[in-house]
Amino acid sequence: MLAAYLQYWKINLLTMAEYRADFFMWLGFTIVYHGTALAALAVTMMRFPSMNGWNLREMFFLYALWMTAHELHNALFYNVVYVPEYIREGRFDRFFVRPFDTLFQVLTVPSRTFPDGFILGCVTLAIATGVAGIHISALTILVIAAVVCGGAGIDLGISLFVASLSFWLIRVDTLRWAVMSLEQDFTRYPISIYTRAVRIVLAYVLPFAFMNYFPASYLLGKHDTAFGLSPEVGLLTPLIGLLWSGISYVFWRFGLNRYQGTGS
Amino acid sequence: MTVFAPYIEYARKAFAREATYRIELLAEVGSVVLRVYLLRSLWTALYAHNIAPTGLPLHAMITYATVAMLMSLVLEVDGTRVIREKLREGGIALDLMKPIVVPFAYFSDGVGQTMVHALAILPSLLFSLLLVHIDVPSATTLAAFVLSFALGYGVNFFVNFLMNGVAFWTLETFGLQLIVRWISDLLSGQILPLAFFPGWFGRAVFALPFAAIYSTPLLIYIGIIPPQQWATALVVQAAWLVATAGASFLLWRAAARHVVVQGG
Repeated sequence: MLAAYLQYWKINLLTMAEYRADFFMWLGFTIVYHGTALAALAVTMMRFPSMNGWNLREMFFLYALWMTAHELHNALFYNVVYVPEYIREGRFDRFFVRPFDTLFQVLTVPSRTFPDGFILGCVTLAIATGVAGIHISALTILVIAAVVCGGAGIDLGISLFVASLSFWLIRVDTLRWAVMSLEQDFTRYPISIYTRAVRIVLAYVLPFAFMNYFPASYLLGKHDTAFGLSPEVGLLTPLIGLLWSGISYVFWRFGLNRYQGTGS
Repeated sequence: MTVFAPYIEYARKAFAREATYRIELLAEVGSVVLRVYLLRSLWTALYAHNIAPTGLPLHAMITYATVAMLMSLVLEVDGTRVIREKLREGGIALDLMKPIVVPFAYFSDGVGQTMVHALAILPSLLFSLLLVHIDVPSATTLAAFVLSFALGYGVNFFVNFLMNGVAFWTLETFGLQLIVRWISDLLSGQILPLAFFPGWFGRAVFALPFAAIYSTPLLIYIGIIPPQQWATALVVQAAWLVATAGASFLLWRAAARHVVVQGG
């Protein structure tokens, strides 16, 4: 399975080398997307230097942490998004006749996914880490890398959960879209600005706060003012990523066993 | 009246077509309400920890942001998307043969689509009022706002028209369009008041056509543009409308001669 996966990435990278213009176009895209988000943040914070005790540099780090984890998820697991479409159109059934795990097959459907966003994310995160004044040592680098992987795991867990629902429901687009916009918009700011109910959702129900808020608080040496938790909570991110993707995988298998096809 | 009949029919058809997506419309309302909550949290936190900018107290800021959100329900509809689709599928050749002024037909189509999304304004407003307080200006100010909004709608339509018109040469404009959309969201004053931009850039953004889309109507609404300056503001908007419409007309003339057949 590992050999097949490496082969998949080899093909991906070869495609990328072939369609170089495409790669740069997508890269330009990603730069403008994150660039405008960061520009809006910078302009706002020139007028309002403190966001619940976070300054612009810290906010930049908060964003970069989420961005890198999210882009890692996009690079490796984006195909999960297509599952509802595969099921609706009856294209999902072909995965049953091949001798590989279905999820593995979904993840390796060729789709020209370039890791441009992840590359950009790493560069941004490196800059943000320097700018935010985090003491850089082998240990912090290790922690940041683990947090990014854990964050991607949280992302995968949630998107896999939503995709698994499509074994029962025909249309999950709206739900998926709502969850995605909740993630993209609400992770930009420290969760301490929200009311308690929303904080609880972001920390314990859809734990996006573990992608950036908690680990950033720990790495920047800030007090968590959302729940008053000990800052070390931020180190739990990899564990939560593992837990969420694990639970979602079990849910996925459960749905798979119930799956009957839509008859299309 | 008979001259307008086909265009009214275009608008009605577009309305009926777009109105079939009821769940999406419902999701749109949900998304607006969610984002109104987000911006309330954001601005409340920012105003609590910083010195308020002169002339823009918190209630005015929240009014600005909420009204901008409601406007976006209508302004984010790309009524000219149909150009791109017709180009790809070849329908444009048939349209050019019909005894109609094609850009007018597309405008009517866009207006029909917009009407459907305008239906989402009222429920979005009602739910938003549960979360935020919106200032209501005098009747004359409201009238000036509506007029300014209509001019902004026109500018927005023609900016989209120009973007989609590029497809006559490139056939694919989706990427370019998204980039322009992100940049225009930032520079039109939808996300933040343009006065927040620093220095010369802050003055330059007012000179771009994007400012005519969101910024001018919103500043009239919250009273930053006082009644004695309405005339100037509206004339500038009207000038942008004429300029973008003129450019669209030229583009259309050049484009209609450029239609090429690409395969079946």
